[in-house]
Amino acid sequence: MLYREAGQFKSSYGADEAIFPIRQDRWLFAAALIVAYVVVPLIASEYWLLSILIPFLVFSLAAIGLNILTGYAGQVSLGTGGFMAVGAFATYKLATSFPDLNIVVVFILAGLITAMVGVLFGWPSLRIKGFYLAVATLAAQFFLIWMFNKFPWFNNYTPSGVISAPPRAVFGHVFVTGAEANSVDKYLFVLSAVTLLALAAKNLVRGRVGREWMAIRDMDIAAEIIGIRPLKTKLLAFAISSFYCGIAGAMWAFIYTGGVEALAFDIDRSFQILFMIIIGGLGSILGSFLGAAFIVLLPLLLERTPMALGFDVPVNYLSNMQSMIFGALIIFFLIVEPRGLARLWQIGKEKLRMWPFPY
Amino acid sequence: MAAAKRIGEPVLEVRDITLSFGGVRALLDVSLEIRAREILAIIGPNGAGKTSMLNVINGFYHPQEGTIAYKGRVRQRMRPHEAAEQGIARTFQNVALFRGMTTLDNIMTGRLLKMRRNFLWQTIHWGPALAEELEHRVFAERIIDFLEIESIRRTPVGQLPYGLQKRVELGRALAMEPELLLLDEPMAGMNVEEKEDMSRFILDVNDEFGTTIALIEHDMGVVMDISDRVVVLDYGRKIADGSPDQVRRDTAVIDAYLGVAHEA
Repeated sequence: MLYREAGQFKSSYGADEAIFPIRQDRWLFAAALIVAYVVVPLIASEYWLLSILIPFLVFSLAAIGLNILTGYAGQVSLGTGGFMAVGAFATYKLATSFPDLNIVVVFILAGLITAMVGVLFGWPSLRIKGFYLAVATLAAQFFLIWMFNKFPWFNNYTPSGVISAPPRAVFGHVFVTGAEANSVDKYLFVLSAVTLLALAAKNLVRGRVGREWMAIRDMDIAAEIIGIRPLKTKLLAFAISSFYCGIAGAMWAFIYTGGVEALAFDIDRSFQILFMIIIGGLGSILGSFLGAAFIVLLPLLLERTPMALGFDVPVNYLSNMQSMIFGALIIFFLIVEPRGLARLWQIGKEKLRMWPFPY
Repeated sequence: MAAAKRIGEPVLEVRDITLSFGGVRALLDVSLEIRAREILAIIGPNGAGKTSMLNVINGFYHPQEGTIAYKGRVRQRMRPHEAAEQGIARTFQNVALFRGMTTLDNIMTGRLLKMRRNFLWQTIHWGPALAEELEHRVFAERIIDFLEIESIRRTPVGQLPYGLQKRVELGRALAMEPELLLLDEPMAGMNVEEKEDMSRFILDVNDEFGTTIALIEHDMGVVMDISDRVVVLDYGRKIADGSPDQVRRDTAVIDAYLGVAHEA
């Protein structure tokens, strides 16, 4: 009953093409934003902000990046971790070489550098497709991590190879990186960046650019006969995807952990983000968030549940159980709905519109 | 109706095209022309080279010999997307739609070439980018009206029955506002009613928009009814070219279809 669109008439194509054409969806979105901006900073503990919400947001951003490339443009990539590393190291080099540069500018520049690297490694996509392209991006992954380990110039010759974030403020004394940074400031900064970038991504995928990507994904020959240039379209997807991944990597290194080495962005990271978009839903911005939430929150839930229920389980036993349940759940979700959590959400809404009638 | 039509000069002239794949000759010394505002049917038995001909015209295949002049200009090797930029649209024998996208989105892809705002404008989806989007949406809606597919606007095309998919594919080609429309078996696998609908759409497109149409079709009834001129291919050669009535009486055509032994 709550979720009905009866009586909501659209009298222009503009209204029909809004992100949330149904009023209840707009309210839900507004409510989510208010919770995220007002309620969460008031009630969330330091632990929740730093160890759960910030990584969730950063992962969501990386997942949006990969979803643009794989979900929308259909180019499978296993190089996400490598591109995140580029973003992190580019931020480090820029921030230490130009201490006066505002951190926002640094993040954007790092994103642009990652975009250029992405275009470079996206070049083979004109010739190779599917699994073979995945292998080519795997080369990017290994090469980039090797490069950051091999040449100490990237970490300013620190013996440990760890890059640590220097303190930087967005404006005035609102520090978002470095040791003194307030966790609420950090959270709000990441939240704002992710919200803006997610909105931009949503706008891209529902307009001309998104249709070009999906056309290439669904049938590249037909895309070519309607005048789409395959190379240009694919490279734009690589560039924008890498821009998002680069900023995600930069935030990971500078805001979430405060210091990382290149190995934090190894192949496991790439797979983790690939799982997020598969579970969340390929070709869906909302799915990127749902997938990130699933991968970040579920292990925590599994870890806490036995304790909450009063079972005394040995730690090593627990971590094995955790991986097993986690794996089983992934398989379960993929069987129930191969198109991911975003699709489940959509089906739920369809059902709700009809409720209490079956159709 | 034939009297009202203004068939003009040739828009596309194909001269002495030879196309071979290894030892197989798909087309041999074929010349044909497509005239402005006509409906040209290309017919012939299986393997005669009809689809190869369309592929040559829109740049999928590059013939070894011969020239193609489009609107008076002999063109060099070109890619399919360049053909699209010059106003040549086509549909495929096996429907080549974007299966994951809705009918509306598929038709909107036909407008992509006409959309000019770059991706930075697109990220804000406001102002000029929105105006442009809506302007093309209006055009797409006109095509949806024209093809009577309003009810499936939001349906992913992968879920549509075959006949409707063919119709959406025609819609996508029309959205490009082509000057030359190539249709590869637009009625294959349709029942009589669907064929009648499709024939009506093809005639209407030709009539209302003045689009030049070249189509491949196996249903002789349809071919004889809707086309102004018929070209017959057999084993890669052109064996006849003329009005439907002339072609119907041509002995070479009858032989090709009824199967007279080919001399080496």
